[in-house]
Amino acid sequence: MHKFVRLSALAAAVAAVPLAASAEGITNRTIGYVLTNKSWAVYQTPDGKTECPAGLNDGPREQFKALYPDDGKQRTLLETHLAREADIWFPNENEPETDKGPLPFRYAAGKMALGLNLDGKIGSKDFSGPRGDTGIDNELYRVLGCVPGFRGPDGANYFFENDYMQRYIFNRVLLEITDVDDLTNDNDVTVTTYRGLDGLLTSANGKDFIAGGTQRIDDRWGKRYIHRLKGKIVDGVLTTEASDIKLPWALTFDTNPDQGFKQAKFQLRLTENSAEGLLGGYVDVKDWQHRFTINWSTHHSSYGQMSIPSITRAMRKLADAYPGPDGKMTAISAAAEMKFAQAFILHPEKSVADAAPTPGAKPVDQRAAGGQ
Amino acid sequence: MSAQQYTNTLANIFGPDLKFDTRFPPLVRTTGLLGNGAAVAGVSDSQLEQYQRTASLVASEVTNATHRTFLIPCKPKDDKAADAACAGKFLPAIGRLLYRHPLAPDQSEALVKEANEAAVRFKDFYAGLAYALEGMLLSPEMLLIAETTEADPARPGHQRLEAYSLATRLSLFLWNAGPDSALLDAAARGELQTPKGRARVVEMMLASPRVESGVRAFFDDMFGFDDFATLSKDAETYPSFTGATAADAREQTLRTIVDHLVTNNGDYRDLYTTRKTFISTALAPIYGVPAGRGWVPYEFPAESPRTGILTHISFLAVHSHPGRSSPTLRGKALRELLLCQAVPRPPANVDFSAVENPKSNIKTQRERVNLHLANPVCAGCHKITDPMGLALENFDGSGKFRTTEKGEAIDASGSLDGKAFTNVVGLGQALHDHPSLPTCLVERTFSYGSGGSVTDAARPMLAYLNAQFAASGYRFPTLLRTIALSTAFSAVEAPPAAKNEARTALKSSAK
Repeated sequence: MHKFVRLSALAAAVAAVPLAASAEGITNRTIGYVLTNKSWAVYQTPDGKTECPAGLNDGPREQFKALYPDDGKQRTLLETHLAREADIWFPNENEPETDKGPLPFRYAAGKMALGLNLDGKIGSKDFSGPRGDTGIDNELYRVLGCVPGFRGPDGANYFFENDYMQRYIFNRVLLEITDVDDLTNDNDVTVTTYRGLDGLLTSANGKDFIAGGTQRIDDRWGKRYIHRLKGKIVDGVLTTEASDIKLPWALTFDTNPDQGFKQAKFQLRLTENSAEGLLGGYVDVKDWQHRFTINWSTHHSSYGQMSIPSITRAMRKLADAYPGPDGKMTAISAAAEMKFAQAFILHPEKSVADAAPTPGAKPVDQRAAGGQ
Repeated sequence: MSAQQYTNTLANIFGPDLKFDTRFPPLVRTTGLLGNGAAVAGVSDSQLEQYQRTASLVASEVTNATHRTFLIPCKPKDDKAADAACAGKFLPAIGRLLYRHPLAPDQSEALVKEANEAAVRFKDFYAGLAYALEGMLLSPEMLLIAETTEADPARPGHQRLEAYSLATRLSLFLWNAGPDSALLDAAARGELQTPKGRARVVEMMLASPRVESGVRAFFDDMFGFDDFATLSKDAETYPSFTGATAADAREQTLRTIVDHLVTNNGDYRDLYTTRKTFISTALAPIYGVPAGRGWVPYEFPAESPRTGILTHISFLAVHSHPGRSSPTLRGKALRELLLCQAVPRPPANVDFSAVENPKSNIKTQRERVNLHLANPVCAGCHKITDPMGLALENFDGSGKFRTTEKGEAIDASGSLDGKAFTNVVGLGQALHDHPSLPTCLVERTFSYGSGGSVTDAARPMLAYLNAQFAASGYRFPTLLRTIALSTAFSAVEAPPAAKNEARTALKSSAK
């Protein structure tokens, strides 16, 4: 005989008529979300000329050609391919010289960027946001903004980082907001990040990721991704207090790197179906370079003109936090755009019914949730 | 024999790991049941081609290197030659199970001879065996249920099914498969033809896990779940309704039925009020609940609008349009499938322009169906389908709960044969209490078991079955037992033509 699970009586039990209630997607003062879209925050104008007046950066192939032109000069494998490969894994301090000088790097220009005010100050180098917010710290944008692979919608990294996040369950990121009474205004909520164990719920036409799926928490291998953050919701926007976090951030199958964010904050607009906004924080330059390099080969980086040695040198140059023993900054301010769809989060010690919504709850409009 | 009966029979004989697909032609629904359509058989060339394909696949699977070691009870002296002794051990024994009666000696000899000749021709004993087995699987004796009658000594002048035919009828009724060896043994001993013996066998059959297949097959038929084969939903309108949703919706209701009626021996009427069911990953997004791994038993809370199998996706989505719900289709299905009532088809010249105008300001289905009521030609039928269909309007065409439609609050009040209610919970209770709900089940079950539409002559029998069913507290296994043990189940009425001939003969002799 089957044992049927039963939802325990809820305080906000609904009368028989009408059968609908206004649970607003919150169950037991909890709502869960699963990450469906992410990309490094790159502010783009339609033609790119505002932020990249000097054009876009060269990649590995263009740089190789500039460094080792077909000029009849004899060069060994060690001097060419292996030298470049070494520079990817252990970037030199300076760009290599060509007969026309060092390889150039084009930084994003302008005063506009996406991101968060991480240090609470409005400095002269800080950006303003498209919605009028000020003091935005996102020096990583200056580095990546004119690298084709990081620009949407079809840059190689922009596309594949998202694509692998969606397809590769290792990358499943969950957000669970607890102690929440109201998704519009609540001055004290707790946000917990987890790694999930399940695929994303797709729509019938396969084009969108929709709300209403279920995610089990990885409490075995995913412990390092569990972070508890305090936060508040103001006018529908959740902002968490700064805290160091780590998220799974693989770019290909069979790799399992993390991306750490120091003093990280989520700023997400919440609905009962979705959460959308930014994750801001400082990323360690060395870690960022290592994560990218073990994920993505030179061959792949060539599609999207992503020269890791040049990007790393630029990150070192613009690093703006966490000074090392030598006084040089080791981390750079950064931001990622993120989209989540509502999901029921199953805790290992709880039953399915524990995560079930209030009876007769307002149905989730799945079309409103995180599409691609 | 239906595709599922064929599959179940082979699984029972050879084991469930045999890999073959059974795509038999669809049956014609007759007086509410596909099972009744199966009572009239005809095989076209294209159908025969499908049967042949399946038979060939099964024969090669059974005799392949993986299965032969345990499915064939002997080894030939030489794999590359005929072996009459080994073929003679296998083919008659399997033939008894496939044909549902023992093979006559000359029939067995013919099969062995066929296998031997093929083995010589193919220079392969197992190829020869497969050849003969394929022929058996394709034989009318396997594919068609031919019932044999004999004089009924207990009722002089009447006929009854002979023992093997009765074994087959019992087996198809209770197990949705051909009889197994034990059942054929009971037939051979004459046990089935004695009340005590038949009672023992029926108890054995009802205690078997195979009864679950029988119950599933019956309700799959009664509820018209063959409609799932052609079910489609607009992906833009219902983004969470996928092919997996449709497959699992059918399974959900069948699991609920088996659990309630068989496992827990529950009151049939409670199927329309119970909140206990099973949830899968594909269904959870539409029910708005979390999913566990695989199928998870689940009970909707007392305050939930999900009450009874009418609120399952299977009923709500199948009886809707691809892009919107339909109170009319739902009401019609409720009356026809659950209450055995007939709802007339719309007249050929009906004017749909008012309800199908894409520029109309109709917001809710209630407004839409009210337009029918303004037209006397439509109103007659819509009055008998829509009032209870409207109570299901809190569920959209995919089965998802909703409180509004195009911004308008949904009024889910309605009535069923004089009983008014304010929402689907009331509808479930009204249906639970409706006198035609159990009697419809009795009629359908008897018709399904006896292999034909219910005739007027069977009305007294139905009255008896209804009384027994009510006395049992509407327990379905009791109904199955009562039918299986009834004289009517094994009695054979002469067809009208034969009766007329008999009357003519009597008149002639009287002259």
